[in-house]
This record gives sequence, structure tokens and C-alpha cells, in this order.
Amino acid sequence: MYKGVLVDKGLLESDPHFAQGCSFCHKGNEESQNKEAAHKGLMKRPSDDLETCAGCHEEIAASYKNSLHYTSAGQRHGVMGRFSEGELRIFDVKIFEKSCRSCHASCGDCHVKSPAIGGVSTGLLKGHRFVKKDEGKTCALCHGGRVYPEFTGEYGGVPDVHYQKGMACADCHSKGEFHGVGGPYTSRRDVKGRPACIGCHPAGQEKSKKAKTAHTMHAGKASCTSCHSSGNYRNCYNCHEGKGATSKPGFILGRNPRNKDIVTTLRLVPTVRGTFEEMGIKMENFDRLPNYWDAYPHNIKKRTERTRSCTLCHSERKGFLTKEDLIKDGSKANEELLVVPKSLTK
Amino acid sequence: MKNRANAKRIIIRMFYAVLVLLFLGPLSGLARDIAPVVSGEWLEKNLSAPGLVIVDIRKVESYKAGHVPGSLSAFYGSWVAKKNNNTNELLEPDDLFDLLSSLGITPTSKVVIVGSVASAPEQCFRTRVAWTLIYGGVKNVALLDGGMEKWLKDKRQVATDFSKAKESEYEGQLEKGINLSKEQILAGLGKAVVVDTRPPDFFFGVAKVPNVAKPGHLKTAVCLPSPWLLDGEGMMKKTEELAAMAAGVVGPDHAKEIMSYCNTGVFASGWWYVLREVLGYRNVKLHDGSMEELARDPNAPIVKYTWK
Ligand code: HEC
Ligand code: HEC
Ligand code: HEC
Ligand code: HEC
Ligand code: HEC
Ligand code: HEC
Ligand code: HEC
Ligand code: HEC
Repeated sequence: MYKGVLVDKGLLESDPHFAQGCSFCHKGNEESQNKEAAHKGLMKRPSDDLETCAGCHEEIAASYKNSLHYTSAGQRHGVMGRFSEGELRIFDVKIFEKSCRSCHASCGDCHVKSPAIGGVSTGLLKGHRFVKKDEGKTCALCHGGRVYPEFTGEYGGVPDVHYQKGMACADCHSKGEFHGVGGPYTSRRDVKGRPACIGCHPAGQEKSKKAKTAHTMHAGKASCTSCHSSGNYRNCYNCHEGKGATSKPGFILGRNPRNKDIVTTLRLVPTVRGTFEEMGIKMENFDRLPNYWDAYPHNIKKRTERTRSCTLCHSERKGFLTKEDLIKDGSKANEELLVVPKSLTK
Repeated sequence: MKNRANAKRIIIRMFYAVLVLLFLGPLSGLARDIAPVVSGEWLEKNLSAPGLVIVDIRKVESYKAGHVPGSLSAFYGSWVAKKNNNTNELLEPDDLFDLLSSLGITPTSKVVIVGSVASAPEQCFRTRVAWTLIYGGVKNVALLDGGMEKWLKDKRQVATDFSKAKESEYEGQLEKGINLSKEQILAGLGKAVVVDTRPPDFFFGVAKVPNVAKPGHLKTAVCLPSPWLLDGEGMMKKTEELAAMAAGVVGPDHAKEIMSYCNTGVFASGWWYVLREVLGYRNVKLHDGSMEELARDPNAPIVKYTWK
């Protein structure tokens, strides 16, 4: 028998969640002995309706309602800067509600069963236990296109040092990022307590002089990932609504569009001029935002070719975005990201 | 009829048993303080033996779900580097020494490698880590026979904590000679016994992995697949059987120079480990770039549709 949907019998007695029977959450008709009748009105994904959990987890449910995992507002926020007001209205109706919102997370996707990817789920996490976390079976699936395989090294790279040391997603990302911060927000940057390298590795605590020197010289000039990202991460190209994007590995250095004083790892985002053309959105403000954004590749290593060799950046300019590399017909804002690090030999 | 075939098989077995004794016994020169393959029974009895370090190379999630008590997590991916477009290269010595230090390993530690035997590559991840440890200067390396699967099947003790080692300051002597460059293995063709450890389809050239540019094998190489080292249960085959397989393909002379390769240097470590550490062949080396690197070289003599 396929164990993916088998409920652990022991739970029924010991876990308060089951005190009021299955139909408390799943609806349907518990009395019936006949499958058809019993399943009438059955809810397969009861926690998509936050009320199911709100009775006992009131605060979490209220806050979660506004979290990015539920509203998908981050995706909207990412592109809306390119739209005129009228275009945003079309986008919201035709695309956001229909397409983006469909992949939001229910409470159960992180706590009860593996989220369905392409319609397929591997089933309950642990015999229907309500687990606090099980990243390898939850986050890993929704973030399995990019973050998770980068983290474990399965995307053709090497594993992140934090994975190697036994850390998982929730060891860095905290509850605010899952359950929200209370009220509505539109970007992960609005979450206090989101992880930062420097938060766990404060300047001045380096064991070696080599590290200390490199860090002092580059504070406020080059980001942690610019030196410590071990290599290629996924970049998406040429997305068209309804057709998807293609992706290939790459490693790109340039100015951080959010703070141009700092050089960091950049990721090409898939939105191109024609992405929403078929829906009648030309993106009047396309050139306001660049096509490359600051990236946090989850493939950190203590030593990389760049920590080993200063000249890779300072004379060879390896990985730095050049005018020739820029995507064709890209945003005019892209050019502001180009940078030529000074040569160290005078 | 059947009896005679049996008798013949017994005689052959005895012959190889004698061979094994002759070549393996006191001649084998490799001083070891731990058997190259240990059973679950042995390991369970020796969990707290001094100097023993148990390293679990499965994915961190699998380790957290249940592991041999006291074992340390060091995922396979931590043991290899990606360099010059080759996926499975040796770590740089400083990274390797950092890793060994973080596991509290010293050159005199006895290291037992616990992995999965669910697939042929995973089986050989274990020997690849063993090869890397030996390269790093740790001589006493062993595999847990049957992997974690057998341990669980036998219902032995399992822990779900995350053990950390008391860090050491690892300083060992690299055994550089067991790793070959592309130039060295090419120069060995026709002189050394060059062993292709991939399944026969790859050797013959009817199968190929995407990261290898050309199908086929190095001219004059012999075919001795590493997936054949284990039985259907994931247990290492009996030593006399392994000895017979080896003798049949690379010959019985334990002093002969042997060079192993595969696609990326994982399968190559399977027979490398068994030939040198189990059977006592003394001069066995491995090319970690393997076909991935070789097939990019237009001058490498790669042939297909032939067994020679
Ligand atoms: C009838 C009340 C009730 C409802 C409804 C309820 N919970 Fe709970 N939940 C509890 C209680 C009580 C605990 C604390 C149990 C404990 O500490 O053992 C808990 C704990 C949890 C935990 C933490 C488990 C742990 O290991 O610490 C999670 C996760 C959870 N609930 C998720 C949910 C989700 C998701 C829903 C909606 C599908 C839900 N709960 C609905 C009462 C409820
Ligand atoms: C059901 C699919 C799904 C699951 C399960 C899931 N995520 Fe997400 N996650 C998403 C989507 C979709 C977004 C983009 C939301 C947006 O901003 O529009 C996202 C965004 C994020 C973000 C950035 C935005 C933010 O909210 O801070 C982080 C960090 C994140 N996820 C981490 C995790 C971790 C860690 C887990 C496991 C505990 C997890 N996710 C589980 C789908 C999922
Ligand atoms: C994107 C993943 C994600 C979603 C969606 C999510 N949670 Fe959580 N939740 C977590 C993680 C991760 C933790 C554990 C944090 C920790 O302790 O490290 C957690 C902890 C909890 C706990 C344990 C008590 C606590 O506060 O630590 C409860 C109860 C809970 N969640 C309920 C819910 C409910 C109810 C919902 C839906 C309204 C929900 N969660 C949605 C990821 C999620
Ligand atoms: C406290 C609420 C709650 C109760 C009570 C409950 N479930 Fe669930 N169940 C969930 C949640 C949450 C999910 C995951 C789907 C989701 O994200 O909402 C789930 C998922 C499932 C699934 C997997 C469905 C799928 O599509 O893969 C099965 C099967 C299931 N439950 C059976 C049961 C049975 C049988 C009982 C009674 C013994 C029961 N549940 C009681 C909340 C509950
Ligand atoms: C060592 C700490 C650490 C671990 C472990 C970690 N992350 Fe992150 N993650 C970060 C940091 C730092 C950022 C950037 C924070 C920001 O700007 O909000 C980030 C950003 C993200 C983002 C948003 C940016 C993006 O690339 O989309 C997502 C999604 C995410 N992480 C998911 C995950 C998932 C899933 C896991 C587990 C597989 C995980 N993280 C493990 C530190 C970590
Ligand atoms: C939540 C805290 C946390 C965050 C956020 C975090 N790290 Fe770490 N980091 C750790 C811990 C814990 C270790 C392991 C220390 C150990 O066991 O030696 C570690 C290890 C490392 C190491 C290896 C150190 C060594 O001596 O081998 C590097 C390099 C590193 N982190 C860089 C980063 C970078 C770059 C970021 C941002 C992308 C980051 N970390 C974010 C906690 C964190
Ligand atoms: C200009 C390149 C560069 C940048 C930028 C950089 N590092 Fe480093 N980092 C290094 C070098 C070089 C080492 C030493 C590596 C070695 O030991 O070979 C190092 C070592 C480390 C270590 C190990 C420390 C130790 O005690 O040995 C950690 C942790 C780390 N860096 C974190 C960070 C964080 C966090 C940031 C961002 C605030 C950062 N690094 C930015 C070059 C850099
Ligand atoms: C990831 C690429 C990168 C690496 C690797 C790197 N640097 Fe830099 N470095 C920069 C950037 C970007 C700046 C900012 C100023 C600029 O544009 O030149 C900078 C600035 C500096 C400066 C200050 C120059 C000035 O006048 O502002 C010095 C000195 C320096 N680096 C030395 C080093 C040394 C020494 C190493 C090797 C340990 C090194 N860098 C490695 C990218 C790098």
C-alpha cells in the first residue's frame, strides 16, 4: 500500500488536532461507509482556508493572511514598477489572480504534507503529524527549481557550507518570513529579522589574518556573496506569459541596483520587453528597472577562486558584467550596473 | 552433470583461495589497524572505540532522519570540488584539511564510512571518499558493509541528534601518487593495466553520459565494472570472488601498475579501493578527471564498438 497518505493511528489518540475527527478540517461525511458519499464536499487542502486553523492558532492565521507566502505579493511587487497604472489593473485581473496567486502556500504545505509540484505530491510528511518543520520535504519542493539544489550542490555545483554543517532553511530564515509580520507588506525586505551574513558573522571575529584583511578592505564595497558564492547559480531568460522561461547557469558581478556603491552577485530576472505582450501589456516603464537584480546564491563556501586570487576581480574582471554581455533589447537601466574594479598594480 | 560442474567450481574456488592467501597474506605490505570493510555487528560493538571516527556521507536530511550513533555528517558533496569543468575533482589540500579538522580526524584515526547502497553511484561515493581520505594521509579507512540500509534492516541503534566533533588541527602527508593526471594515464596506455570501471555499455560505446563528449573507452583498457563489486543486497562480495574477478581481468600479479578511470572518478574508486585495500594490489592509481576530461582531448585514443 502507498504510505504517502496513510495516517498514523497513534496520532488519533495523542494529538489534539484529531480530537474532533477528520471532518472537522476535511468536511465530507464521516458517518458514511460509502466512499462516494463520505467524500462529498471533502476538502483536500483544508488549510487553504485559514479559518480551519484560526480557531486555535488565531494570531498565526491572522498574520499569515498577509504574508508573502500567502499573498504572493512579492511577485507582483517585483514587476509592477514597470507598469503604468492602467497596465497594473490589467495585470492584477488577468495575470496575478489567475497565475501567480495559484502557487501560494497553505499552512499544510509547510506543516502537514509535501506541496504538490506539477500536480504531484509525495504525501503526508509524517503520518499526518503537524510537524514544526521538515525543510527537505517542504521548502525544498517549492524552492526546488533554484534555491534548494543550489544549497545541496545538486545543481551541478558544490554544497553550501551551511548545508555541510547541518543547517537547513529555517536555521537562517525565521518565522516572520513564513507567518508574516502582522500587517500587509509587499517585499521580503520589509521583514525584520530576515537573515544577513553579517548578522551571524560580525566583522572582526575572523580567525585568520587573511580573512580579516580581505574583509576590512571591502566593507561597504563588495558583498559577501561576491567573494563567497562558490560559482554558477541559476539565471532565467526570456520569460513569456504562458510559455515559461529558460534557465541556464551563470555567475554575474555588477553594482547592486538597490545600492550602487556595492558590487554584488546579480541574477538575470526573466521579465523581458515582450513578457506580457499577449495580454496587452507593453510595460510603459520597462526601462525604469534593470533586468539584473542582487542575488543571494545559496552556494556559500569559505574558499572560492575569488578568495584565492585578488587578481580575478581586480585585473581579469572575471564574471563582471560587460556591455557586450547585456541581454539584447534589455532595460536602459542595465548599463548603470556595469563596473570596472580598479587595478591593484598602480 | 550438475555434480561435476559443482566440483569444478569448488576446485576453481580453492585455486583462487590459494591465490588470495599467496598474494594477500603477509605480502600485502599495507599496515592497517582496521579491516577495509567492517560489518554492522563489528561497528555496533566498537561504537565508542578510541580513535574511531564514523563519517556519514549521505544527504544531511537522511542523516538527521536517523544515523549510526556518534557518527558525524559529511555529505558526499563536501568531499569533491568542481574544477575546470570536471565535476568530481579532489579538493584543494587546504579545503580537505579543513574538512578533516572539522570532523576531528587525525592521520592515525580509524575512519568508518557510512553511506547508502541504494544506487551504483552512491555505492561508489563511499569508496571515492575512502580514496580521498587515503590521499589526505589517513590510512585506516573502512566501509560499513551494506551501508545504512543494512544497518537499519538489522534494527541496530539509530540516533537523530546532530553530532559535532571536537575539531582537530589536521596535518597529514598527502599520498599524491594515487591520483593521476590526464597526461599520466595517457602515458600509461600499453604499459600499465588501464581499467575502465564503468558498466560494459559505456565501455563498448553504446551508452554515454551527457557530460562526456564521446562514447567508448581508452584503447587497450580492460573492462571491470565497479557496480559488480556488491551483491544484490548491497553487500561486498566475498573476497575470494573479488580476487577471482580481478585476477581474471587485470591478472594476479599484485605488483603490476594499474590505472582506473570511469566517467567522473566515482566508479573508478570502487575497484581502486578493492584492488588496493582489500586484495593487496600495491600499485593502483586513479584518474579523477576520467572520461569527462579525457574525451575533451582530441588526442586521447578513444575507441568504440570493440572490446579491445
Ligand atoms: C482544535 C485546536 C487546533 C486546531 C484547529 C489546529 N491546531 Fe495546531 N495545535 C493545537 C495545539 C493545542 C497545539 C500544541 C500541541 C502540542 O504542544 O503538543 C498545536 C500545535 C501545532 C503545531 C506545532 C507542532 C509542534 O510540533 O510543535 C503546528 C505546526 C500546528 N499546530 C499547525 C496547525 C495547522 C496547520 C492547523 C490547521 C490545519 C492547526 N494546527 C489547527 C491545536 C489546534
Ligand atoms: C507551496 C510552495 C512553497 C513552500 C512550501 C515554501 N515556499 Fe517559500 N516561497 C514560495 C513562493 C511562491 C514565494 C514567492 C512569494 C512572493 O514573494 O510572491 C516564496 C518566497 C520565499 C522567501 C522570500 C520571500 C519572503 O516571504 O521572505 C523565502 C525566504 C522563502 N520563501 C523561504 C521558504 C522556506 C524556508 C520554506 C520552508 C520552511 C518555504 N519557503 C516554503 C513558495 C513556497
Ligand atoms: C512557508 C512555510 C510555512 C507556512 C506556510 C506556515 N508555517 Fe507555521 N511554521 C513554519 C516554520 C518553519 C516553523 C518553525 C519555526 C521554528 O521553530 O524554527 C513554524 C512554526 C509553527 C508553529 C509552532 C509554534 C510557533 O509559533 O513556533 C505553529 C503552531 C504554526 N507554525 C502554525 C502555522 C499555521 C496555522 C499556518 C497557516 C496559517 C502556518 N503555520 C503556515 C513554516 C510555515
Ligand atoms: C486539524 C485539521 C485536520 C484534521 C483534523 C485532519 N486533517 Fe488531514 N489534512 C490537514 C491538512 C492541513 C492537510 C494538508 C493539506 C493542506 O495543505 O491543507 C491534510 C492532508 C490530508 C491528506 C493528504 C491529502 C492529499 O491530497 O495528499 C489526507 C489523506 C488526510 N489529510 C487525511 C485525514 C484523515 C483520515 C483525518 C482523520 C483521521 C484527517 N486528515 C484529519 C488537516 C487536518
Ligand atoms: C546560512 C543562512 C541561510 C540558509 C541556511 C538558507 N538561506 Fe535563504 N537566504 C539567506 C540570506 C542571507 C538571504 C538574503 C536575505 C534577504 O535579502 O532577504 C536569503 C534569501 C532567500 C530567498 C529570497 C531570495 C531568493 O533567492 O529568492 C529565498 C527564497 C530563500 N532564501 C530560501 C531558502 C531556502 C528554501 C533555504 C533552504 C533550502 C534557505 N533559504 C536556506 C540565508 C540563508
Ligand atoms: C543564522 C546565522 C548565519 C547566517 C545568516 C549566515 N551564516 Fe555563515 N555560518 C553560520 C554557522 C553556524 C556556520 C558554521 C560554523 C561552524 O560550524 O564552523 C557558518 C559557516 C560559514 C562559513 C564557513 C566558515 C569556516 O570557518 O569554515 C562561511 C564562509 C560563511 N558561513 C559565510 C556566510 C555568508 C557569506 C553568509 C551570507 C550569505 C552567511 N554565512 C550567513 C551561521 C550563519
Ligand atoms: C574580497 C573578498 C571577500 C569578501 C567581499 C568577503 N570575504 Fe569572507 N573571506 C575572504 C577571504 C580571502 C577569506 C579567507 C579564506 C581562507 O582562509 O583561505 C574569508 C573568510 C571568511 C570566513 C571564514 C573566517 C575565518 O575565521 O577564517 C567567513 C565566515 C567569511 N569570510 C564571511 C564573510 C562575510 C560574512 C562577508 C560579508 C560581510 C565576507 N566574508 C566578505 C574574502 C572575502
Ligand atoms: C569579488 C571581486 C573582488 C575580489 C576577489 C577582490 N576585490 Fe578588492 N575590490 C573589489 C571591488 C568591487 C572594490 C571597490 C572599488 C573598486 O571598484 O575597485 C574593491 C576595492 C579594493 C581596494 C580598495 C581600492 C580603493 O581605492 O577603493 C583594495 C585595496 C582591494 N580591493 C584589494 C583587494 C585585495 C588585496 C584582494 C585579495 C585579497 C581583493 N581586493 C579581492 C572587488 C574585489
